Amino acid sequence: MASNQQAAKTSEVEHEPAPILQQMAIFATVLFVSSLISPLFPKSFPVPTPVIGLVLMYVLLASHIIKLYQVEKMADFLISLIAFLFVPSGIQMANSLNVFTDGGAMTGVMLIVTIILATIILLVVVAYTTAGFMAISRKVFHKSTDVD
Amino acid sequence: MNWAPFLGKAVANPASAPLLFFGIFLSLIVFLIGQYLFKISKGFFLFQPLFVGMVLGIFILWLMSKWLGVSLPDFYTQAYKPGGDLLFWFLNPATIAFAIPLYRRNDVVKKFWLEIVLSLIVGSIISLFVIYYVAKIFGLNNSMIASMLPQAATTAIAMPISGAIGGVPAVTAMACILNAVLIYALADFLIKIFRLNSDPVGAGLGLGTAGHTVGSAKAVQLGSVQGAMASIAVVVISIVIDLVVPTFASMMGLH
Repeated sequence: MASNQQAAKTSEVEHEPAPILQQMAIFATVLFVSSLISPLFPKSFPVPTPVIGLVLMYVLLASHIIKLYQVEKMADFLISLIAFLFVPSGIQMANSLNVFTDGGAMTGVMLIVTIILATIILLVVVAYTTAGFMAISRKVFHKSTDVD
Repeated sequence: MNWAPFLGKAVANPASAPLLFFGIFLSLIVFLIGQYLFKISKGFFLFQPLFVGMVLGIFILWLMSKWLGVSLPDFYTQAYKPGGDLLFWFLNPATIAFAIPLYRRNDVVKKFWLEIVLSLIVGSIISLFVIYYVAKIFGLNNSMIASMLPQAATTAIAMPISGAIGGVPAVTAMACILNAVLIYALADFLIKIFRLNSDPVGAGLGLGTAGHTVGSAKAVQLGSVQGAMASIAVVVISIVIDLVVPTFASMMGLH
């Protein structure tokens, strides 16, 4: 019995990854469906295709319609490429460097300093707020907040 | 031999295939140079491949545009953009891919969903106030302040909101890009000095909020909980910004 469970568990963990074309097809389908949903949102409340796609993919996984082994390999590959895929966005700044110089050099410097500070503010404030809510859950509601 | 007229002719025809490959070629080369510098400098933060790629790429385009005697934006649009756009498109499936690290730690999501949503809502509202007053102290005008507010959302959401509250969408897009580049370069350092290591949930949510998908990729490297939390932050924060920023802007009298 115990060995049976062990076997079942191993086969689940080490399931052969689905062929890469099938994984691509799942990604393409999710993207396509999301691109049909995205325009349904009003202009004042934009929700872009990839954000809908992320939610849709998560829902498909959580409802076991799609299994991890069917998308895992493609996903890990794409995530490992993210920094590289962002290079064109960085270079795109060549197109609009004038927004930093339009208001005079001083405004440009202040703008960059504000963006740097805003990045740090977002990281630290959200992280500390989370720590606060976690402390409330722990102390007021006696909920274990341990994660491994 | 003077190559300028030949290149100039190629540049004048944006549909020509060599230019499609030029954007891809340049992106790969500058990123690989960045990876090499990062490796031989033993991880010096200014040599993060993404940062090197961005600065070196713009510098090379600038040099070439000077040599060919065209303006940098024109040269960018005609020579680099076709290939760059092709690579940029792959950010769509790459963003969807974050559903997988999120689902892998579904146990954490189920256990803490309320804390996660509350932290992101309250955290983003506090951040908006802080960013507003920081921008004010640095003497930015209302349109620039409005451009700074939606930057926690993903670019495709932040730009239209920026426009709607009287900001300049191009400035907001630039802020979103710099967020990602900065977080990728500075995450390790910031996590250390602000001691965010002890709380993987908070660190993950912070990285996803401040660094968008690039911050999430960084979080995935730190651990499965951080990766999952950053992925959920990318979605939830975008919706929160969608809802909160227009109200915040009119409350502060920005438009």
